[in-house]
Amino acid sequence: MPSLPDSETNTGASEERHTDPSPRSRIRKWVVSNTKVRLFVQFVTWVSILTLFTGTVAAGNGMTLSKQPRDTLAVPRWLYLATGGATIGASALLASFVTDRAFIRYLHNWSLSGPTIDDWWTPIRWIGRSLGIVVLGLAVYLGLTGPQLPTASFTILVTFVVVRAGLPMLTYLGGNVWPALNPWRGIVSLLPAGHRTYPRELARWPAVGGLLLLVWIEVIFPVSTIPSTLSIAILTYSAVTIAGAVLFGPDAWFENADPISVLFRFFGAVAPLKRRDGKLTVKLPGSDLTDSDLITDTSDVAFVIALIWELTYSGFITTQTGAATTEALVSLSNIGVGAVQIRAILIYTLLFVSGYVVFFAAYWYAGVLSRRRTGTYITAKRIAFRFAPSLLAIAAGYHLAHYTGLAVSLSPALGMAILSPLSPPANPLTLSPPGWFEGLSIAYVLIGHLLAIWAAHATAYELFSSRLVAIRSQYPFIVVMIGYTVISLWILSLPGATPPYLP
Amino acid sequence: MSHTATTIPRSNSPAGKCDYCGHPFPTTDRLVLHKGLEHPQQLDDVEVEAFHEARSNETDELRTLRLKALGALVLLYFGLLFMYAIFA
Repeated sequence: MPSLPDSETNTGASEERHTDPSPRSRIRKWVVSNTKVRLFVQFVTWVSILTLFTGTVAAGNGMTLSKQPRDTLAVPRWLYLATGGATIGASALLASFVTDRAFIRYLHNWSLSGPTIDDWWTPIRWIGRSLGIVVLGLAVYLGLTGPQLPTASFTILVTFVVVRAGLPMLTYLGGNVWPALNPWRGIVSLLPAGHRTYPRELARWPAVGGLLLLVWIEVIFPVSTIPSTLSIAILTYSAVTIAGAVLFGPDAWFENADPISVLFRFFGAVAPLKRRDGKLTVKLPGSDLTDSDLITDTSDVAFVIALIWELTYSGFITTQTGAATTEALVSLSNIGVGAVQIRAILIYTLLFVSGYVVFFAAYWYAGVLSRRRTGTYITAKRIAFRFAPSLLAIAAGYHLAHYTGLAVSLSPALGMAILSPLSPPANPLTLSPPGWFEGLSIAYVLIGHLLAIWAAHATAYELFSSRLVAIRSQYPFIVVMIGYTVISLWILSLPGATPPYLP
Repeated sequence: MSHTATTIPRSNSPAGKCDYCGHPFPTTDRLVLHKGLEHPQQLDDVEVEAFHEARSNETDELRTLRLKALGALVLLYFGLLFMYAIFA
Protein backbone atom coordinates (compact mmCIF):
# COMPACT_ATOMS: atom_id res chain seq x y z
CA MET A 1 0.00 0.00 0.00
CA PRO A 2 1.38 3.38 -0.85
CA SER A 3 1.72 5.71 2.08
CA LEU A 4 1.64 9.37 1.32
CA PRO A 5 3.47 11.93 3.37
CA ASP A 6 1.16 13.86 5.66
CA SER A 7 2.10 17.22 4.25
CA GLU A 8 0.82 16.24 0.82
CA THR A 9 -2.55 14.99 1.97
CA ASN A 10 -2.94 18.11 4.09
CA THR A 11 -2.24 20.41 1.20
CA GLY A 12 -4.47 18.47 -1.10
CA ALA A 13 -7.37 18.65 1.31
CA SER A 14 -6.90 22.19 2.50
CA GLU A 15 -6.73 23.61 -0.99
CA GLU A 16 -10.42 22.72 -1.24
CA ARG A 17 -11.45 24.63 1.84
CA HIS A 18 -14.09 26.83 0.26
CA THR A 19 -16.92 24.44 -0.52
CA ASP A 20 -20.64 24.76 -0.81
CA PRO A 21 -22.86 22.01 0.50
CA SER A 22 -24.66 20.97 -2.73
CA PRO A 23 -24.47 17.19 -3.40
CA ARG A 24 -22.78 17.58 -6.76
CA SER A 25 -19.93 19.57 -5.33
CA ARG A 26 -19.73 17.12 -2.46
CA ILE A 27 -19.07 14.31 -4.92
CA ARG A 28 -16.61 16.52 -6.70
CA LYS A 29 -14.93 17.28 -3.43
CA TRP A 30 -14.76 13.59 -2.60
CA VAL A 31 -13.18 12.82 -5.96
CA VAL A 32 -10.71 15.65 -5.65
CA SER A 33 -9.78 15.07 -2.04
CA ASN A 34 -9.61 11.32 -2.37
CA THR A 35 -5.95 11.02 -3.21
CA LYS A 36 -6.18 7.49 -4.50
CA VAL A 37 -8.91 8.25 -7.03
CA ARG A 38 -7.03 11.34 -8.14
CA LEU A 39 -3.82 9.43 -8.48
CA PHE A 40 -5.49 6.67 -10.43
CA VAL A 41 -7.13 9.05 -12.88
CA GLN A 42 -3.86 10.92 -13.39
CA PHE A 43 -1.92 7.72 -13.78
CA VAL A 44 -4.23 6.36 -16.46
CA THR A 45 -4.26 9.67 -18.33
CA TRP A 46 -0.50 10.11 -18.39
CA VAL A 47 0.30 6.53 -19.22
CA SER A 48 -2.15 6.54 -22.11
CA ILE A 49 -0.86 9.86 -23.46
CA LEU A 50 2.75 8.77 -23.23
CA THR A 51 2.20 5.34 -24.79
CA LEU A 52 0.14 6.86 -27.59
CA PHE A 53 2.84 9.39 -28.30
CA THR A 54 5.83 7.07 -28.17
CA GLY A 55 3.86 4.32 -29.88
CA THR A 56 3.14 6.31 -33.01
CA VAL A 57 6.62 7.75 -33.33
CA ALA A 58 8.38 4.45 -32.75
CA ALA A 59 6.04 2.61 -35.08
CA GLY A 60 6.51 5.26 -37.73
CA ASN A 61 10.26 4.87 -37.62
CA GLY A 62 10.07 1.12 -37.48
CA MET A 63 7.94 0.98 -40.61
CA THR A 64 10.13 3.22 -42.72
CA LEU A 65 13.16 1.26 -41.66
CA SER A 66 11.88 -2.24 -42.16
CA LYS A 67 10.87 -1.63 -45.76
CA GLN A 68 14.12 -0.05 -46.80
CA PRO A 69 17.74 -0.92 -46.32
CA ARG A 70 19.47 1.04 -43.62
CA ASP A 71 21.05 3.75 -45.77
CA THR A 72 18.01 4.77 -47.82
CA LEU A 73 15.42 6.02 -45.40
CA ALA A 74 12.02 6.91 -46.82
CA VAL A 75 12.20 10.16 -44.86
CA PRO A 76 15.29 12.37 -45.13
CA ARG A 77 17.76 11.67 -42.37
CA TRP A 78 17.55 15.14 -40.84
CA LEU A 79 13.79 14.78 -40.52
CA TYR A 80 14.15 11.40 -38.86
CA LEU A 81 16.65 12.88 -36.42
CA ALA A 82 14.43 15.91 -35.81
CA THR A 83 11.52 13.60 -35.05
CA GLY A 84 13.61 11.69 -32.55
CA GLY A 85 14.74 14.89 -30.86
CA ALA A 86 11.19 16.25 -30.93
CA THR A 87 9.91 13.09 -29.22
CA ILE A 88 12.19 13.80 -26.28
CA GLY A 89 11.31 17.50 -26.26
CA ALA A 90 7.60 16.80 -26.46
CA SER A 91 7.72 14.26 -23.67
CA ALA A 92 9.57 16.78 -21.52
CA LEU A 93 6.80 19.30 -22.23
CA LEU A 94 4.21 16.66 -21.38
CA ALA A 95 6.05 15.78 -18.18
CA SER A 96 5.94 19.44 -17.17
CA PHE A 97 2.16 19.11 -16.99
CA VAL A 98 2.53 16.65 -14.12
CA THR A 99 2.89 18.99 -11.19
CA ASP A 100 1.29 16.89 -8.48
CA ARG A 101 4.00 16.01 -5.98
CA ALA A 102 1.85 13.36 -4.34
CA PHE A 103 1.42 11.61 -7.67
CA ILE A 104 5.12 11.70 -8.50
CA ARG A 105 6.06 10.43 -5.07
CA TYR A 106 3.42 7.74 -5.27
CA LEU A 107 4.83 6.42 -8.54
CA HIS A 108 8.36 6.40 -7.21
CA ASN A 109 7.51 4.82 -3.89
CA TRP A 110 5.25 2.18 -5.34
CA SER A 111 6.56 -1.27 -4.55
CA LEU A 112 5.44 -4.85 -4.12
CA SER A 113 7.18 -6.96 -1.53
CA GLY A 114 8.04 -10.45 -2.61
CA PRO A 115 9.33 -13.44 -0.69
CA THR A 116 12.11 -13.12 1.85
CA ILE A 117 15.36 -14.18 0.24
CA ASP A 118 17.90 -13.54 2.95
CA ASP A 119 17.90 -17.17 4.11
CA TRP A 120 18.64 -18.20 0.57
CA TRP A 121 21.15 -15.47 -0.14
CA THR A 122 24.24 -17.24 1.22
CA PRO A 123 23.71 -20.58 -0.59
CA ILE A 124 22.72 -18.74 -3.80
CA ARG A 125 25.86 -16.66 -3.58
CA TRP A 126 28.06 -19.69 -3.05
CA ILE A 127 26.52 -21.62 -5.92
CA GLY A 128 26.62 -18.58 -8.21
CA ARG A 129 30.20 -17.69 -7.43
CA SER A 130 31.37 -21.29 -7.78
CA LEU A 131 29.69 -21.34 -11.18
CA GLY A 132 31.40 -18.05 -11.96
CA ILE A 133 34.81 -19.43 -11.01
CA VAL A 134 34.26 -22.57 -13.13
CA VAL A 135 33.21 -20.47 -16.14
CA LEU A 136 36.15 -18.10 -15.65
CA GLY A 137 38.63 -20.96 -15.45
CA LEU A 138 37.10 -22.71 -18.44
CA ALA A 139 37.09 -19.48 -20.45
CA VAL A 140 40.76 -18.80 -19.83
CA TYR A 141 41.76 -22.41 -20.48
CA LEU A 142 39.69 -22.84 -23.65
CA GLY A 143 40.79 -19.49 -25.02
CA LEU A 144 44.40 -20.64 -24.89
CA THR A 145 43.89 -24.23 -26.03
CA GLY A 146 40.54 -24.31 -27.86
CA PRO A 147 39.62 -23.45 -31.47
CA GLN A 148 40.77 -19.99 -32.54
CA LEU A 149 37.52 -19.22 -34.38
CA PRO A 150 35.49 -16.42 -32.75
CA THR A 151 32.00 -17.90 -33.24
CA ALA A 152 33.12 -21.32 -31.98
CA SER A 153 35.13 -20.07 -29.03
CA PHE A 154 33.62 -20.52 -25.58
CA THR A 155 35.82 -17.67 -24.29
CA ILE A 156 34.66 -15.09 -26.81
CA LEU A 157 31.03 -16.14 -26.70
CA VAL A 158 30.85 -16.10 -22.92
CA THR A 159 32.70 -12.79 -22.62
CA PHE A 160 30.79 -10.88 -25.28
CA VAL A 161 27.39 -12.55 -25.51
CA VAL A 162 26.97 -13.26 -21.79
CA VAL A 163 29.00 -10.72 -19.81
CA ARG A 164 29.01 -7.81 -22.29
CA ALA A 165 25.51 -8.20 -23.76
CA GLY A 166 23.27 -10.58 -21.81
CA LEU A 167 24.06 -9.89 -18.16
CA PRO A 168 23.68 -6.09 -18.41
CA MET A 169 20.33 -6.66 -20.14
CA LEU A 170 19.26 -9.00 -17.36
CA THR A 171 20.48 -6.39 -14.87
CA TYR A 172 18.51 -3.39 -16.10
CA LEU A 173 15.46 -5.34 -17.25
CA GLY A 174 15.33 -7.66 -14.24
CA GLY A 175 17.73 -7.18 -11.35
CA ASN A 176 21.41 -7.11 -10.52
CA VAL A 177 22.67 -10.69 -10.09
CA TRP A 178 26.35 -9.88 -10.56
CA PRO A 179 27.21 -9.85 -6.81
CA ALA A 180 26.03 -13.48 -6.72
CA LEU A 181 28.05 -14.48 -9.79
CA ASN A 182 31.23 -12.44 -9.47
CA PRO A 183 33.99 -15.10 -9.74
CA TRP A 184 36.77 -12.76 -8.57
CA ARG A 185 34.86 -12.01 -5.41
CA GLY A 186 34.46 -15.74 -4.89
CA ILE A 187 38.21 -16.23 -5.21
CA VAL A 188 39.07 -13.30 -2.94
CA SER A 189 36.68 -14.49 -0.22
CA LEU A 190 38.94 -17.52 0.19
CA LEU A 191 42.03 -15.36 0.71
CA PRO A 192 43.12 -13.14 3.60
CA ALA A 193 42.26 -9.61 2.47
CA GLY A 194 42.13 -5.98 3.57
CA HIS A 195 45.74 -5.07 4.29
CA ARG A 196 45.22 -1.37 3.51
CA THR A 197 42.21 0.91 3.79
CA TYR A 198 40.89 2.15 0.48
CA PRO A 199 41.74 5.86 0.02
CA ARG A 200 38.39 7.63 0.23
CA GLU A 201 39.36 10.54 -1.99
CA LEU A 202 39.89 8.15 -4.93
CA ALA A 203 36.13 7.43 -4.87
CA ARG A 204 35.07 5.66 -8.06
CA TRP A 205 37.84 7.11 -10.25
CA PRO A 206 39.66 3.75 -10.58
CA ALA A 207 36.44 2.24 -11.94
CA VAL A 208 36.05 5.11 -14.44
CA GLY A 209 39.62 4.60 -15.61
CA GLY A 210 39.10 0.83 -15.69
CA LEU A 211 35.95 1.06 -17.78
CA LEU A 212 37.53 3.44 -20.30
CA LEU A 213 40.62 1.22 -20.45
CA LEU A 214 38.55 -1.93 -21.02
CA VAL A 215 36.65 -0.30 -23.89
CA TRP A 216 39.91 1.04 -25.35
CA ILE A 217 41.41 -2.47 -25.23
CA GLU A 218 38.26 -3.86 -26.84
CA VAL A 219 38.67 -1.40 -29.73
CA ILE A 220 42.43 -1.54 -30.22
CA PHE A 221 43.28 -5.18 -29.52
CA PRO A 222 41.70 -8.16 -31.29
CA VAL A 223 40.06 -9.43 -28.10
CA SER A 224 36.75 -10.08 -29.85
CA THR A 225 38.29 -12.11 -32.68
CA ILE A 226 41.28 -14.03 -31.27
CA PRO A 227 40.40 -16.17 -28.23
CA SER A 228 43.98 -16.49 -26.95
CA THR A 229 44.34 -12.68 -26.83
CA LEU A 230 41.10 -12.48 -24.90
CA SER A 231 42.33 -15.14 -22.48
CA ILE A 232 45.45 -13.12 -21.78
CA ALA A 233 43.31 -10.01 -21.25
CA ILE A 234 41.06 -11.92 -18.83
CA LEU A 235 44.10 -13.24 -16.97
CA THR A 236 45.53 -9.73 -16.65
CA TYR A 237 42.19 -8.37 -15.46
CA SER A 238 41.89 -11.21 -12.93
CA ALA A 239 45.38 -10.56 -11.60
CA VAL A 240 44.72 -6.84 -11.14
CA THR A 241 41.29 -7.45 -9.58
CA ILE A 242 42.45 -10.12 -7.16
CA ALA A 243 45.52 -8.11 -6.16
CA GLY A 244 43.41 -4.99 -5.60
CA ALA A 245 40.71 -6.83 -3.67
CA VAL A 246 43.26 -8.60 -1.46
CA LEU A 247 45.06 -5.34 -0.77
CA PHE A 248 42.02 -3.14 -0.01
CA GLY A 249 39.46 -5.77 0.97
CA PRO A 250 36.73 -7.10 -1.33
CA ASP A 251 33.98 -4.73 -0.14
CA ALA A 252 35.94 -1.56 -0.84
CA TRP A 253 37.41 -2.86 -4.08
CA PHE A 254 34.24 -4.14 -5.72
CA GLU A 255 32.24 -1.16 -4.48
CA ASN A 256 34.65 1.46 -5.80
CA ALA A 257 37.42 0.28 -8.08
CA ASP A 258 36.22 -2.73 -10.07
CA PRO A 259 34.67 -1.38 -13.29
CA ILE A 260 32.50 -4.45 -13.97
CA SER A 261 30.95 -4.50 -10.49
CA VAL A 262 30.33 -0.74 -10.54
CA LEU A 263 28.75 -1.08 -14.00
CA PHE A 264 26.33 -3.73 -12.79
CA ARG A 265 25.54 -1.77 -9.63
CA PHE A 266 24.60 1.29 -11.69
CA PHE A 267 22.60 -0.67 -14.26
CA GLY A 268 20.86 -2.38 -11.35
CA ALA A 269 19.49 1.01 -10.27
CA VAL A 270 17.27 1.04 -13.38
CA ALA A 271 15.93 -2.46 -12.68
CA PRO A 272 12.44 -3.25 -11.39
CA LEU A 273 13.62 -6.07 -9.08
CA LYS A 274 15.53 -5.15 -5.94
CA ARG A 275 16.74 -6.83 -2.78
CA ARG A 276 15.48 -4.57 -0.01
CA ASP A 277 15.42 -5.34 3.70
CA GLY A 278 16.02 -8.99 2.90
CA LYS A 279 13.01 -9.16 0.61
CA LEU A 280 12.70 -9.36 -3.12
CA THR A 281 10.89 -6.14 -4.09
CA VAL A 282 9.29 -5.10 -7.36
CA LYS A 283 9.38 -1.39 -8.20
CA LEU A 284 8.51 0.56 -11.31
CA PRO A 285 11.52 0.59 -13.66
CA GLY A 286 13.71 3.59 -13.04
CA SER A 287 11.91 4.68 -9.90
CA ASP A 288 15.15 4.49 -7.91
CA LEU A 289 16.81 6.96 -10.26
CA THR A 290 15.72 9.79 -7.99
CA ASP A 291 17.74 8.43 -5.06
CA SER A 292 20.15 10.98 -3.71
CA ASP A 293 22.59 8.35 -2.45
CA LEU A 294 23.24 6.72 -5.82
CA ILE A 295 25.61 9.41 -7.07
CA THR A 296 27.76 10.95 -4.38
CA ASP A 297 30.92 11.95 -6.19
CA THR A 298 32.08 13.49 -9.46
CA SER A 299 33.58 10.12 -10.35
CA ASP A 300 30.08 8.59 -10.29
CA VAL A 301 28.91 11.15 -12.83
CA ALA A 302 32.04 10.41 -14.88
CA PHE A 303 31.23 6.71 -14.78
CA VAL A 304 27.64 7.18 -15.94
CA ILE A 305 28.76 9.43 -18.80
CA ALA A 306 31.44 6.86 -19.68
CA LEU A 307 28.69 4.23 -19.99
CA ILE A 308 26.83 6.42 -22.47
CA TRP A 309 29.95 7.46 -24.35
CA GLU A 310 31.49 4.02 -24.78
CA LEU A 311 28.29 2.75 -26.42
CA THR A 312 28.10 5.80 -28.66
CA TYR A 313 31.77 5.48 -29.59
CA SER A 314 31.77 1.78 -30.36
CA GLY A 315 28.63 2.36 -32.40
CA PHE A 316 30.24 5.22 -34.33
CA ILE A 317 33.53 3.58 -35.31
CA THR A 318 31.69 0.58 -36.78
CA THR A 319 29.77 2.73 -39.29
CA GLN A 320 30.89 3.79 -42.77
CA THR A 321 30.99 7.42 -41.68
CA GLY A 322 33.07 6.48 -38.66
CA ALA A 323 35.47 4.48 -40.83
CA ALA A 324 35.73 7.34 -43.33
CA THR A 325 36.39 9.82 -40.51
CA THR A 326 39.18 7.65 -39.11
CA GLU A 327 40.73 7.18 -42.55
CA ALA A 328 40.61 10.91 -43.24
CA LEU A 329 42.16 11.74 -39.87
CA VAL A 330 44.87 9.11 -40.29
CA SER A 331 45.82 10.41 -43.75
CA LEU A 332 45.77 13.97 -42.38
CA SER A 333 48.14 13.00 -39.60
CA ASN A 334 50.68 11.69 -42.12
CA ILE A 335 53.66 13.87 -41.25
CA GLY A 336 56.28 11.31 -42.20
CA VAL A 337 56.81 9.78 -38.79
CA GLY A 338 55.30 6.64 -37.37
CA ALA A 339 53.70 3.67 -39.06
CA VAL A 340 50.08 3.84 -40.23
CA GLN A 341 49.04 1.39 -37.51
CA ILE A 342 50.50 3.51 -34.71
CA ARG A 343 48.90 6.67 -36.06
CA ALA A 344 45.56 4.87 -36.43
CA ILE A 345 45.70 3.77 -32.80
CA LEU A 346 46.52 7.34 -31.76
CA ILE A 347 43.57 8.66 -33.78
CA TYR A 348 41.20 6.09 -32.26
CA THR A 349 42.42 7.00 -28.79
CA LEU A 350 42.15 10.70 -29.48
CA LEU A 351 38.59 10.36 -30.77
CA PHE A 352 37.69 8.22 -27.77
CA VAL A 353 39.08 10.64 -25.20
CA SER A 354 37.95 13.89 -26.84
CA GLY A 355 34.41 12.62 -27.41
CA TYR A 356 34.22 11.56 -23.78
CA VAL A 357 35.40 14.96 -22.63
CA VAL A 358 32.76 16.65 -24.82
CA PHE A 359 29.98 14.40 -23.48
CA PHE A 360 31.07 14.99 -19.90
CA ALA A 361 31.50 18.74 -20.36
CA ALA A 362 28.07 19.05 -21.98
CA TYR A 363 26.43 17.37 -19.02
CA TRP A 364 28.41 19.35 -16.46
CA TYR A 365 27.65 22.62 -18.21
CA ALA A 366 23.95 21.74 -18.10
CA GLY A 367 24.28 21.60 -14.31
CA VAL A 368 25.92 25.04 -14.26
CA LEU A 369 23.25 26.48 -16.57
CA SER A 370 20.48 24.93 -14.53
CA ARG A 371 21.79 26.66 -11.42
CA ARG A 372 22.23 29.98 -13.20
CA ARG A 373 18.81 29.97 -14.84
CA THR A 374 16.90 29.13 -11.67
CA GLY A 375 19.00 31.32 -9.39
CA THR A 376 19.07 28.58 -6.78
CA TYR A 377 21.73 28.43 -4.08
CA ILE A 378 22.19 24.70 -4.47
CA THR A 379 25.61 24.15 -6.03
CA ALA A 380 25.94 23.17 -9.69
CA LYS A 381 27.84 20.08 -8.58
CA ARG A 382 25.00 18.91 -6.42
CA ILE A 383 22.47 19.54 -9.20
CA ALA A 384 24.67 17.53 -11.57
CA PHE A 385 24.85 14.69 -9.00
CA ARG A 386 21.09 14.58 -8.57
CA PHE A 387 20.26 14.52 -12.27
CA ALA A 388 23.00 12.03 -13.25
CA PRO A 389 21.09 8.83 -12.27
CA SER A 390 18.48 9.61 -14.93
CA LEU A 391 21.25 9.19 -17.52
CA LEU A 392 21.46 5.53 -16.52
CA ALA A 393 18.13 4.91 -18.25
CA ILE A 394 19.66 6.39 -21.41
CA ALA A 395 22.71 4.15 -21.06
CA ALA A 396 20.44 1.12 -20.63
CA GLY A 397 18.48 2.07 -23.75
CA TYR A 398 21.69 2.46 -25.78
CA HIS A 399 23.01 -0.84 -24.52
CA LEU A 400 19.84 -2.66 -25.48
CA ALA A 401 19.83 -0.99 -28.91
CA HIS A 402 23.44 -1.91 -29.59
CA TYR A 403 23.56 -5.45 -28.21
CA THR A 404 20.17 -7.09 -28.89
CA GLY A 405 21.21 -7.96 -32.45
CA LEU A 406 24.50 -9.45 -31.30
CA ALA A 407 22.92 -11.44 -28.50
CA VAL A 408 20.22 -12.87 -30.77
CA SER A 409 22.50 -13.70 -33.69
CA LEU A 410 25.12 -15.47 -31.55
CA SER A 411 22.78 -17.21 -29.11
CA PRO A 412 22.74 -20.57 -31.01
CA ALA A 413 26.54 -20.52 -31.18
CA LEU A 414 26.65 -19.80 -27.45
CA GLY A 415 24.30 -22.70 -26.79
CA MET A 416 26.57 -25.03 -28.76
CA ALA A 417 29.68 -23.75 -27.01
CA ILE A 418 28.08 -24.26 -23.59
CA LEU A 419 26.83 -27.76 -24.43
CA SER A 420 30.18 -28.92 -25.73
CA PRO A 421 32.83 -26.43 -24.60
CA LEU A 422 35.72 -28.74 -25.37
CA SER A 423 34.75 -29.66 -28.94
CA PRO A 424 32.37 -27.04 -30.36
CA PRO A 425 31.14 -27.47 -33.95
CA ALA A 426 33.56 -25.97 -36.47
CA ASN A 427 30.87 -24.04 -38.30
CA PRO A 428 28.29 -22.90 -35.74
CA LEU A 429 24.93 -21.46 -36.62
CA THR A 430 24.59 -17.67 -36.50
CA LEU A 431 21.23 -16.02 -36.99
CA SER A 432 20.78 -12.81 -38.94
CA PRO A 433 18.18 -10.67 -37.16
CA PRO A 434 15.24 -9.53 -39.32
CA GLY A 435 15.02 -5.96 -40.57
CA TRP A 436 12.58 -4.77 -37.95
CA PHE A 437 15.31 -5.20 -35.35
CA GLU A 438 16.64 -1.84 -36.57
CA GLY A 439 13.29 -0.29 -35.75
CA LEU A 440 13.40 -1.92 -32.32
CA SER A 441 16.81 -0.34 -31.67
CA ILE A 442 15.37 3.09 -32.35
CA ALA A 443 12.50 2.31 -30.00
CA TYR A 444 14.95 1.24 -27.25
CA VAL A 445 16.94 4.47 -27.56
CA LEU A 446 13.75 6.54 -27.36
CA ILE A 447 12.29 4.54 -24.45
CA GLY A 448 15.56 4.96 -22.52
CA HIS A 449 15.40 8.70 -23.05
CA LEU A 450 11.75 8.93 -22.09
CA LEU A 451 12.46 7.13 -18.84
CA ALA A 452 15.36 9.52 -18.28
CA ILE A 453 13.12 12.55 -18.91
CA TRP A 454 10.64 11.25 -16.37
CA ALA A 455 13.36 10.47 -13.81
CA ALA A 456 14.80 13.96 -14.25
CA HIS A 457 11.35 15.46 -13.76
CA ALA A 458 10.79 13.51 -10.56
CA THR A 459 14.28 14.41 -9.33
CA ALA A 460 13.65 18.10 -9.94
CA TYR A 461 10.52 17.86 -7.80
CA GLU A 462 12.50 16.24 -5.00
CA LEU A 463 15.23 18.84 -5.22
CA PHE A 464 13.22 22.06 -5.48
CA SER A 465 10.29 23.16 -3.37
CA SER A 466 8.94 25.53 -6.00
CA ARG A 467 7.27 23.69 -8.86
CA LEU A 468 8.15 26.43 -11.33
CA VAL A 469 11.81 26.23 -10.40
CA ALA A 470 11.62 22.43 -10.65
CA ILE A 471 10.37 22.67 -14.21
CA ARG A 472 12.87 25.36 -15.24
CA SER A 473 15.80 23.49 -13.71
CA GLN A 474 15.29 20.64 -16.17
CA TYR A 475 15.59 22.64 -19.39
CA PRO A 476 19.40 22.43 -19.80
CA PHE A 477 19.37 18.71 -19.05
CA ILE A 478 16.61 18.14 -21.57
CA VAL A 479 18.68 19.92 -24.22
CA VAL A 480 21.66 17.67 -23.43
CA MET A 481 19.42 14.59 -23.57
CA ILE A 482 18.03 15.67 -26.95
CA GLY A 483 21.64 16.03 -28.12
CA TYR A 484 22.49 12.51 -26.94
CA THR A 485 19.36 11.09 -28.61
CA VAL A 486 20.02 12.76 -31.94
CA ILE A 487 23.64 11.52 -31.97
CA SER A 488 22.57 8.00 -31.08
CA LEU A 489 19.75 7.88 -33.63
CA TRP A 490 22.14 9.24 -36.27
CA ILE A 491 24.59 6.42 -35.55
CA LEU A 492 21.81 3.85 -35.76
CA SER A 493 20.80 5.20 -39.18
CA LEU A 494 24.31 4.91 -40.66
CA PRO A 495 25.33 1.86 -42.71
CA GLY A 496 27.72 -0.46 -40.90
CA ALA A 497 31.39 -1.06 -41.70
CA THR A 498 34.49 -2.70 -40.25
CA PRO A 499 36.72 -0.17 -38.48
CA PRO A 500 39.88 0.29 -40.62
CA TYR A 501 43.53 -0.32 -39.56
CA LEU A 502 42.58 -2.48 -36.59
CA PRO A 503 43.79 -6.07 -36.28
CA MET B 1 16.57 16.28 0.89
CA SER B 2 19.97 17.46 2.03
CA HIS B 3 20.71 21.15 2.14
CA THR B 4 24.39 21.02 2.86
CA ALA B 5 25.63 21.76 -0.66
CA THR B 6 24.65 25.40 -1.14
CA THR B 7 26.68 28.46 -2.01
CA ILE B 8 25.52 32.05 -2.27
CA PRO B 9 27.01 34.12 -5.11
CA ARG B 10 28.77 37.27 -3.90
CA SER B 11 26.58 39.60 -5.97
CA ASN B 12 23.44 38.08 -4.47
CA SER B 13 21.80 38.44 -1.10
CA PRO B 14 19.44 35.73 0.03
CA ALA B 15 15.89 36.72 0.88
CA GLY B 16 16.02 34.46 3.89
CA LYS B 17 17.12 31.25 5.49
CA CYS B 18 14.96 28.39 6.59
CA ASP B 19 14.58 28.55 10.40
CA TYR B 20 14.53 24.77 10.65
CA CYS B 21 17.32 23.54 8.39
CA GLY B 22 19.27 26.67 7.45
CA HIS B 23 18.82 26.36 3.70
CA PRO B 24 19.11 29.82 2.08
CA PHE B 25 16.66 30.96 -0.62
CA PRO B 26 16.87 33.77 -3.17
CA THR B 27 13.19 34.72 -2.87
CA THR B 28 10.69 34.76 -0.01
CA ASP B 29 8.19 32.72 -2.02
CA ARG B 30 10.58 29.83 -2.40
CA LEU B 31 11.44 29.97 1.30
CA VAL B 32 7.78 29.86 2.24
CA LEU B 33 7.11 26.97 -0.13
CA HIS B 34 10.12 25.09 1.20
CA LYS B 35 8.96 25.49 4.81
CA GLY B 36 5.47 24.28 3.97
CA LEU B 37 6.68 21.21 2.10
CA GLU B 38 9.63 20.15 4.20
CA HIS B 39 8.65 21.17 7.72
CA PRO B 40 4.83 21.11 7.75
CA GLN B 41 4.60 20.00 11.39
CA GLN B 42 6.68 22.86 12.78
CA LEU B 43 4.86 25.79 11.18
CA ASP B 44 2.67 28.31 13.02
CA ASP B 45 -0.64 29.65 11.64
CA VAL B 46 0.88 32.71 9.97
CA GLU B 47 3.39 30.56 8.12
CA VAL B 48 0.70 28.09 7.08
CA GLU B 49 -1.38 30.97 5.72
CA ALA B 50 1.64 32.33 3.85
CA PHE B 51 2.31 28.87 2.43
CA HIS B 52 -1.21 28.53 1.06
CA GLU B 53 -1.01 31.93 -0.54
CA ALA B 54 2.37 31.24 -2.11
CA ARG B 55 1.05 27.94 -3.35
CA SER B 56 -2.00 29.42 -5.01
CA ASN B 57 0.16 32.14 -6.62
CA GLU B 58 2.42 29.41 -7.88
CA THR B 59 -0.55 27.48 -9.24
CA ASP B 60 -1.55 30.55 -11.29
CA GLU B 61 1.92 30.84 -12.72
CA LEU B 62 1.96 27.13 -13.45
CA ARG B 63 -1.23 27.54 -15.42
CA THR B 64 0.47 30.10 -17.64
CA LEU B 65 3.45 27.82 -18.05
CA ARG B 66 1.17 24.95 -19.02
CA LEU B 67 -0.48 27.08 -21.66
CA LYS B 68 2.94 27.92 -23.08
CA ALA B 69 3.91 24.24 -23.03
CA LEU B 70 0.70 23.38 -24.81
CA GLY B 71 1.43 26.05 -27.41
CA ALA B 72 4.91 24.63 -27.91
CA LEU B 73 3.48 21.14 -28.32
CA VAL B 74 1.00 22.31 -30.93
CA LEU B 75 3.74 24.17 -32.81
CA LEU B 76 5.98 21.12 -32.65
CA TYR B 77 3.23 18.83 -33.86
CA PHE B 78 2.17 20.94 -36.80
CA GLY B 79 5.76 21.85 -37.62
CA LEU B 80 6.62 18.17 -37.95
CA LEU B 81 3.40 17.46 -39.80
CA PHE B 82 4.20 20.06 -42.45
CA MET B 83 7.80 18.90 -42.66
CA TYR B 84 6.61 15.37 -43.33
CA ALA B 85 4.09 16.62 -45.89
CA ILE B 86 6.82 18.50 -47.75
CA PHE B 87 9.86 16.24 -47.46
CA ALA B 88 8.62 12.70 -47.00
